Amino acid sequence: MSGLRMKQMVHSFGDITVLNGVNFHVQSGEVHALLGMNGAGKSTLMNILAGVLQPTGGTIEIDGQLYTFSSPKDAKRAGIGHVVQEVDAALFPALSVYENVLAEQIVEQPNMLFSKTNKRAFVLQLLERVGLAHVSLDTPVQTCSLHEKQLILLARVLSSSARYIILDEPTASLSEEETKRLFAMIEQLKVQGVSFIYISHKLHEVKRICDRMTILRDGTVVYEGDVSLPTEQIVRHMVGRQPETRNTFAREKSEETIFEVKQLYIPKTKTTVDLAVRRGEIVGIAGLVGAGKTELAESMIAHVKTTGERLLHEKKQTWNSPKDAIEAGVCLIPEERRKQGLFMNETIEKNLTVRLLSNIAAWQWIQKRKERALATRLISSLRIRPSSPNALVKHLSGGNQQKVVIGKWLQTNSDVLIFDEPTKGIDAHAKEEVFSIIRTLAEKGKAIIYLTSECQELLHIADTIYVMVDGQLIKQIDAQEATYEQLVYDMTGGGTN
Amino acid sequence: MKFLHKYGTMLAIVIVIAFFSFSLDSFFTYANFSDILRSISIVTLVAIGITFSLIVDGFDLSVGSTVSLATIASASALVLHRQELFVALIVPLLLGALVGLLNAFLIIRLRLPDLLATLAVMYIINGVQLTYTKGFSIYNDMPLPEGGVAPGKFIPSFLFIGQGELFGIPFSVLLMLFVVVCAHLFLTYTKFGRLFYMTGENREAAHLTGIPVNRYRTYAYMISGLFAALGGIVLASRIGTGQVSAGASLLMDGVAAAFIGFSVFGIGKPNVIGTLLGSIFIGVLLNGLTMMNVPYYAQDIVKGALLIFALALSHMVKK
Repeated sequence: MSGLRMKQMVHSFGDITVLNGVNFHVQSGEVHALLGMNGAGKSTLMNILAGVLQPTGGTIEIDGQLYTFSSPKDAKRAGIGHVVQEVDAALFPALSVYENVLAEQIVEQPNMLFSKTNKRAFVLQLLERVGLAHVSLDTPVQTCSLHEKQLILLARVLSSSARYIILDEPTASLSEEETKRLFAMIEQLKVQGVSFIYISHKLHEVKRICDRMTILRDGTVVYEGDVSLPTEQIVRHMVGRQPETRNTFAREKSEETIFEVKQLYIPKTKTTVDLAVRRGEIVGIAGLVGAGKTELAESMIAHVKTTGERLLHEKKQTWNSPKDAIEAGVCLIPEERRKQGLFMNETIEKNLTVRLLSNIAAWQWIQKRKERALATRLISSLRIRPSSPNALVKHLSGGNQQKVVIGKWLQTNSDVLIFDEPTKGIDAHAKEEVFSIIRTLAEKGKAIIYLTSECQELLHIADTIYVMVDGQLIKQIDAQEATYEQLVYDMTGGGTN
Repeated sequence: MKFLHKYGTMLAIVIVIAFFSFSLDSFFTYANFSDILRSISIVTLVAIGITFSLIVDGFDLSVGSTVSLATIASASALVLHRQELFVALIVPLLLGALVGLLNAFLIIRLRLPDLLATLAVMYIINGVQLTYTKGFSIYNDMPLPEGGVAPGKFIPSFLFIGQGELFGIPFSVLLMLFVVVCAHLFLTYTKFGRLFYMTGENREAAHLTGIPVNRYRTYAYMISGLFAALGGIVLASRIGTGQVSAGASLLMDGVAAAFIGFSVFGIGKPNVIGTLLGSIFIGVLLNGLTMMNVPYYAQDIVKGALLIFALALSHMVKK
């Protein structure tokens, strides 16, 4: 029997069941989409297939033969290939294309010496198959474009004659043109009998390239079949019935625009953005991972070099660094809080007062008593645990760390606060606390920009929601009128094409 | 274990002092301790400079050469150019700050790795002072190539810095203690000090918090150069000549002192009080070994081993 069958796959991490008897079937020579929201179990299923995780229960059958993978090596031998999303993590930047394609063969080969010429014909043929015939074998991979790197990785996967290839968000950072070329290549390989498992959030692309699809929700298959299903229905399958936790009160809106960007250029996506936020307003920006939200946030506060106009209180601003933005009153609570937001080896107190040293210092001399009073006040108003100002930030939970990052700005003169994925990796209770802090800030008249890929959060907290796709704000919706399904539909590119 | 973590370094110093006191008659005397303090005063000044560069998560290998350059600059100003005290102090200090500025330019603007950039500068500066002196030391009444003898000499007010005493305590020791206290207060209690530490702790977070990180890093390298120059002045005054490459050996001692300082009281960060204690530790050890007739070349082995010990300790404390 041909094809790949995963039967009754069960997997749990501790008490949490991630896969609940999943049946997944890929026919040979097809492109099969695997869809689902974050946390639906897609990654776990694919990690099992790639031999990275060992399932709690279930069987894997490939072309009629039963397999148990105890390592990625086993999976490769059985013909499973995995093109990861972060291609750079799988390549050796300083080595040549030739060496990168052959990486797995070099590891496996029994003799000590490695020939730089022996397999040139073999590699050339592989590159030709993935449409990279024009790339020289001796080019170091670091000089290749992202698209080329992806194809080099694909060539490597093909070198071990993989017949089932997992593509994880392959178009996340590709241009339209590159996407087209990738799809053409997939079509070709399909004819040669290679099957693909295609993971993506971009539904219009799924419809373009895939033959069939499986939709996962909460570790269970909710749909398996043709991709011609209307996008609305696909979204409904992915989302399921969600409890309506929405912002029921329509808050009064000020007409006073506090911060505005016009034609702000985002270097990474090569797009421009127009955005305005009013006094007391929470503007939500919904976008998938890779849609350019972080880049937008960093452009707004001049963390990256950019062009375009910024208006604060209707006055034109010229900022060269975050310092200028902060002094004018715009600050960022960054996505990577450990890396970008905190001084991990310092105390809660020092983290909280770092922006306020001028207020608590006389002649540059920090007044210990004032600092302590300030820190204690912030700690109790934010309910940071532990409440000791001398506790080191690195010992705090994610939620409490996030409160420290936010707390740093509370007493400053910032009028605009930009939150980039503020609830990432924090528990439900801390999430509620963060929401309530943000609401309080808005009620005090601060302008809030809230960027996230968890769009149910925006229904909960935002007044106005923008949808961001591929670096552009494609839609503006009043939060009172938005629905979760609609947002997912728009975010996944249902509205485009 | 916790006790060792916190007081291990202090304990080591006490043990070393106790050991030498019991095995050497003339070790535990006022004269000898005064001698030890006098000998570490220069190392401590250099090590404080290194501490500043470490605080901003940088490193400065050029301090030894800067000491040599400052020594030559002082001597040249006094002996060859017959200048007064003020010039003999200000010229080396300016040169030190300039070396720091060069380091900062290479590291911040050209984005060279700090170790390699300051290594290169170390060679350049060493070459500069050798080229200037043509490899000869500068001393009182030295013959000049164009005939005659040098017009100036080491004046008493300059020599007082390294050789004089106040209230029976060597002036250089008082200077060192004064600088230690000032640097400690500056780093611990002022806004600037706090921002130096924040810059080193997490540069990106500091940048996103609006701290001008590159400015603080530049200051740190300039301060490092200044302290090395101050060390050079004290050295010139102490030996009363402008010895070429006199500061070379101070780099290793300074680095070891600063890293031993990491672990003092389990702080796990570069700090001035720790640096002072580290420098005392090294001073006591070298003094004792010398009195036990361990030759100076063998002492390098001890110094190297000590640095490894200090680095291992600072890594353990960090964890």
